[in-house]
Amino acid sequence: MPQLRKDPVTKRWVILLHEQKKLPADFKIEHAPKQTNKCPFCPGNENMTPFELMSYRSENTLPNEPGWQVRVIPNRFPALQIEGDLDRMGLGVYDMMNGVGAHEVIIESPNHEDGFHNYSSEQISRVLHTYVERYRDLSRDRRFRYILVFKNNGSAAGASLDHPHSQLIATPIIPKRVMEELEGAKTYYYYKERCVFCDIIRQELSQGERIIHENESFVAFEPFASRFPFETWIAPKDHKDCFGDIDKGEIDGLADIMQATIKKLIKTLDNPPFNFIIHTSPCGEHCTDYFHWHIEIMPRVTKIAGFEWGSGFYLNHMSPERAARFLINPNYKG
Amino acid sequence: MPQLRKDPILKQWVIISPERGKRPSDYKKTIEEPDDSAECPFCEGKEHLTPNETLSFRTAGTDANKKGWWVRIIPDSEPILRPEGEPGREGFGMFDAMNSIGVHEVVIESPNHNSRIHNATNDQVREIIWAYKQRLLEIKKNPSYKHFMVVKNSGAGLSNFTHSHSHIIATPIIPKRVEEEIEGAREYYHYHDRCLFCDIVKQEQKDQMRLVYENDQFIVFCPFASRFPFEMQIMPKSHQPFFEMIENNLVQTFADALQNTLKRQEAVLPGQPYNMVLHTSPCSDSYKDFYHWHVEIIPKLTKVAGFEWGSGFYINPTTPEDAAKALRDIAIK
Repeated sequence: MPQLRKDPVTKRWVILLHEQKKLPADFKIEHAPKQTNKCPFCPGNENMTPFELMSYRSENTLPNEPGWQVRVIPNRFPALQIEGDLDRMGLGVYDMMNGVGAHEVIIESPNHEDGFHNYSSEQISRVLHTYVERYRDLSRDRRFRYILVFKNNGSAAGASLDHPHSQLIATPIIPKRVMEELEGAKTYYYYKERCVFCDIIRQELSQGERIIHENESFVAFEPFASRFPFETWIAPKDHKDCFGDIDKGEIDGLADIMQATIKKLIKTLDNPPFNFIIHTSPCGEHCTDYFHWHIEIMPRVTKIAGFEWGSGFYLNHMSPERAARFLINPNYKG
Repeated sequence: MPQLRKDPILKQWVIISPERGKRPSDYKKTIEEPDDSAECPFCEGKEHLTPNETLSFRTAGTDANKKGWWVRIIPDSEPILRPEGEPGREGFGMFDAMNSIGVHEVVIESPNHNSRIHNATNDQVREIIWAYKQRLLEIKKNPSYKHFMVVKNSGAGLSNFTHSHSHIIATPIIPKRVEEEIEGAREYYHYHDRCLFCDIVKQEQKDQMRLVYENDQFIVFCPFASRFPFEMQIMPKSHQPFFEMIENNLVQTFADALQNTLKRQEAVLPGQPYNMVLHTSPCSDSYKDFYHWHVEIIPKLTKVAGFEWGSGFYINPTTPEDAAKALRDIAIK
């Protein structure tokens, strides 16, 4: 059973995968993505994966057979395990609990070469519908406090397989980074009685200099204090606290803006490795007034050095205003 | 002038330095191998290639910025923070910004291009620590700096120079990570009336299983909730908030602990790039009861993926107990 441990100083929780028993030698090689001849995510190879949890598939096809458009499976090497109790306990100054949670893989397309930039709009909507459906299902499990949907694209961004996929992890704690956002948003709300994200969006829309794309329901922009070059956020324009409450019309709007944004990043940065992650309110705890769900996209084009992790103080060599100009205008030369 | 910007949600500050004028194409290659063939500006005899030194330990009778030194500190030639100018704090609507005032210097740890902390003489390591201490005490005289730290990025992909060096960085704000440590330590202190770090030291000494090394005044251990495989911390056993106030007799034992730690790391993970950070109390007496200086060492073994970035929730595939055992049991010279 993996273990969760909490750092008593920073209150940061860590998942410990001690069962893998890694040795120093295991780390000596840079693991390139293992490109076996047979990709376990390709149609026809369904027998190489655990049984699917859900899928969008053509009529008259069977689960775990070809014929699907989107397929969700449990991760074969889960960071957290679905069975068991949390068994919280203390050890002197330290606190710990069992690593109970869910870890799923969303195979976004049967086509090995696909990506968010070239999906059809139906396909991208199907992927987003899948996120929502899995989110809603897992948020009913009372052991889980938080559900993270994210994507690692490219080996430098942590992807171990090339076939387009995203992941979902349900955790029994609220992750530190999310907790910080919740705390920050709550403080702002107590002070101003307004949602901090709504205020940011209003200011971004009125200034316009960091906006990448907008449609009826969503806006994509470079945050004022971007931690990374070309960091991009997508947020609903109206105040919405929970990703799981998104409706069908909004999913189409989100599909449009995600594709437009990722296309721009891929074109500008020549197919960079990137991550995206959805931040929403914790399960069963609608932060109706002060939290606002959003997606953070982080192209992985810089190295994080000792200073950044030691200080939490990031160095960014690209102003978000300039990044926005490069992204909106392909002819912008800086 | 680079700018500091504050994220209104996380209260996290960012340095924006658009002057470095990077274009998208500059980011396409992520791994830059250090260029070793060209003249190394940190080698003895190449002093004219660097800015003028701010401190050096050198043989009596030799001139500044000439040969004859054994530790040398210079301003960084591409500083992320600069000592000139006003703080220039300003609001833009709901956003806050200020100028990037601060100090960014490079400590050249040896005149010899191939010397590393793990294979240097113990005397040389002690001299490096003296240099940190002296320079930090000098920088601390400027009241606009709220905090400083010593950072070392060692190895291919982490640093552009192979010549052994570290950075001294003084900032006009308390960095987020340090602020978090302070908050955690303060809460614990208010509840228990004890320093949390002191309690950790005691528990690690008692538990033994995460201990890597100890001498009379320092312990080295893998933290209970290590974020990364083989992550280590070096901590003084007695309560000391400020590294720069380190007493003379502790300089030698700290040098021993530091060198011993890096020797063990080198033996277990040969040639492994790593980051090292020295965290000390902010430049104010208000934290002295509950803050405790320490060093964090992180070998760069794993890739940090989207999940970790987006959640601040790290996945570590090695237990600190296993890592500590490997580091503790290895034979070193």
